[in-house]
Amino acid sequence: MIPNLVTVRYRRHDGRWLRLYVPVLPVVLVLSPLLLLAVLAGLVACFVFRVSPVGALRGAGQLLWALPGTRIEIHDGQTAVRLSVR
Amino acid sequence: MNEQRRQILQMLAEGKITADEAERLIDALEREQPESPSGATARPKPRPKYLRVLVVENPGGDEPGLVNVRVPLNLLRAGVRLASLIPPQALSRVNDELSKSGVPIDLTELKPQHIEDLIDQLDDLTVDVDDRDTKVQVFCE
Repeated sequence: MIPNLVTVRYRRHDGRWLRLYVPVLPVVLVLSPLLLLAVLAGLVACFVFRVSPVGALRGAGQLLWALPGTRIEIHDGQTAVRLSVR
Repeated sequence: MNEQRRQILQMLAEGKITADEAERLIDALEREQPESPSGATARPKPRPKYLRVLVVENPGGDEPGLVNVRVPLNLLRAGVRLASLIPPQALSRVNDELSKSGVPIDLTELKPQHIEDLIDQLDDLTVDVDDRDTKVQVFCE
């Protein structure tokens, strides 16, 4: 399953949390023209470096599929950052 | 001795819980996992899905630091598969640089299957590093 929601939380020095919820699918749809360009650039890079484009696309897809459940949390004194992918 | 019982005893040794609490926890553990009669097959342990890395810096201090990373094991597998696409000429250049730096590792000998086997065996991995100011734990859950 592809990620649905990426949550970024950032705690500032004053202790207040800044929360950012990124719904993946709508963002991907909005950025789809850029994404198409990026895929084309990736395909060109695959041909230049003699990497199988099908394998690269499959690998990138598997990476994307495996992302849900990832959680990264860093606290340093008063500052903190949390990133979770659901 | 199973892992959970060991953790309870470790918490008791570190003074995090009292002897009564440890006894209650062990009792609860025994109720949850009754001893199987001899000859009966034990229930297979569920396979862990995540690799956790936990770093606690200055645990008792004023401003403790914490790094808590949970990575799905499937993400590691996908990364390994993606890394297998690295072209041989790039691998040989990496090998050259590694040997120049005094690390004579031949990455071309490292096959994706080997790394996948390694990830499959990560289930029982537990790394505990206890320093005076820092505590590091790496385990699968």
